[in-house]
Amino acid sequence: MSESTFKAFSAVLCLSLMISVSASAQSQPNTNTEYKAQEVSDPIEPVNRFVFGFNDFLDRILIEPVAKGYNYVLPQMVRDSVQSFMRNLKSPIVVGNDLLQGKIGDAGVATARFVINSTIGIVGLADVASTKGLKYKDADFGETLATWGVGSGFYIVIPILGPSSLRDGVGTFTDGYVDPVRLYAYNTDRMWIYYTREGIQGLDDRSRLIKPIDDMRANSLDYYAAARSAWTQHRSAFIRGESADDTGAGAAGSTDHP
Amino acid sequence: MTPAPALQAAPTTHKIKKDITTVIKSFTALCAILLSFALSVPAHADEAKSASSPPAKFVQGLGNTALMSLTGKNITRKTREDRVRKILRDNFDVAAIGKFALGHHWREASESQRKDYMNLFEDMIVQTYTTRFEDYSGQKLKVDSSTSVPPHGDFIVASQVVQKDGPPVKLEWRIRSEDSGMRVVDVTVEGVSMSQTQRADFDSVIQNGGGSIDALLASLRDRKDAAANKKG
Repeated sequence: MSESTFKAFSAVLCLSLMISVSASAQSQPNTNTEYKAQEVSDPIEPVNRFVFGFNDFLDRILIEPVAKGYNYVLPQMVRDSVQSFMRNLKSPIVVGNDLLQGKIGDAGVATARFVINSTIGIVGLADVASTKGLKYKDADFGETLATWGVGSGFYIVIPILGPSSLRDGVGTFTDGYVDPVRLYAYNTDRMWIYYTREGIQGLDDRSRLIKPIDDMRANSLDYYAAARSAWTQHRSAFIRGESADDTGAGAAGSTDHP
Repeated sequence: MTPAPALQAAPTTHKIKKDITTVIKSFTALCAILLSFALSVPAHADEAKSASSPPAKFVQGLGNTALMSLTGKNITRKTREDRVRKILRDNFDVAAIGKFALGHHWREASESQRKDYMNLFEDMIVQTYTTRFEDYSGQKLKVDSSTSVPPHGDFIVASQVVQKDGPPVKLEWRIRSEDSGMRVVDVTVEGVSMSQTQRADFDSVIQNGGGSIDALLASLRDRKDAAANKKG
């Protein structure tokens, strides 16, 4: 670990600690039992709408066609391998965040997955671990901040990356900053490695969302508002710990319904 | 208290090497501990949470009927539409869902606006799901569990849509027992409630239309006309 990296890491840790200390005083669980819709705080809506429009335009003319082509050209098996490989590369971030959230069991599963998939799974190309009951579970720094009691802050739309919140935007930036792949690429002056990885990651993510996004574009009256609501709900479900692989009745905690 | 002298002195190369060894050793130890935790986690512990209760059976039945009668390429748009409408009316509390989707604007709406809205709302749902089912084929619904939740005694039925291509999609159904039988009042897809999203969508249309419900009604009417024109 180079000196600058180490400094950056310490800075992040100190910052995290400060946030956690200041947040613990005001942290409160979601006890919304009222019969009312979740309002999304969006004070910079005009700016967000503009960026959203730009992203949507870029998506329609470039990203979605490429993602569709990617789905068309490569068989499911190959695309799954790409996903496994990408997830494996991000394992250190997941383990780190699991630990910061105090989820020792999850950190253990993620570590075991990393060890098994990197070796038996041939550098992560095959997700062997999940066939042994060690299921993939994502974790990020935005979620870590949420666990520490930091509120989501208002809604933001990041150019190219899309919907986020103040907290989750900070999380994304932090995860990227301490990402071993980025550090390696930076320290060896080969940033193209990082950009290529990010590009493939984005393409893989987008290729799995063709139907939901087409559906929402077609069936919403105000696409921006529908996407804002859907993203916020999906994100809070993730933070409450209802991942797609979890089959428990997660919405039981939510009392906001017709 | 005076700080320890070691903190002030510049560390020697030897000491840094020793530190790194310690870090590596502790990291290895940590990994070992984590691994032992991982291996002690039971692979599956959430089976059989009343997947055979009446609400679970209701959802399974509804899913089977819908997938059987609404998918397939060889039925006309009209037939599919009629079937969607029937299944919707028989199994969903459309009035409750529509009222929720309008949010606080419901209270401000006049009697005739409410009536117009409900008709347009049902038409919109029918159009949306008719189109969705046109593209479906080979999906299966697998009900996992059913849990009773406060405050209305609703049931949340967790299920998955298993597809031929791609991972299963997580669906949660909110079921309410009513005089006429069990009714779906909300469906949540991967954490996203359809009613909640609809409500946010409608609210935005009303707000951007100067707070008038007529703006929403006009928008719903436009959509209906566009769909009718497309059908030819």
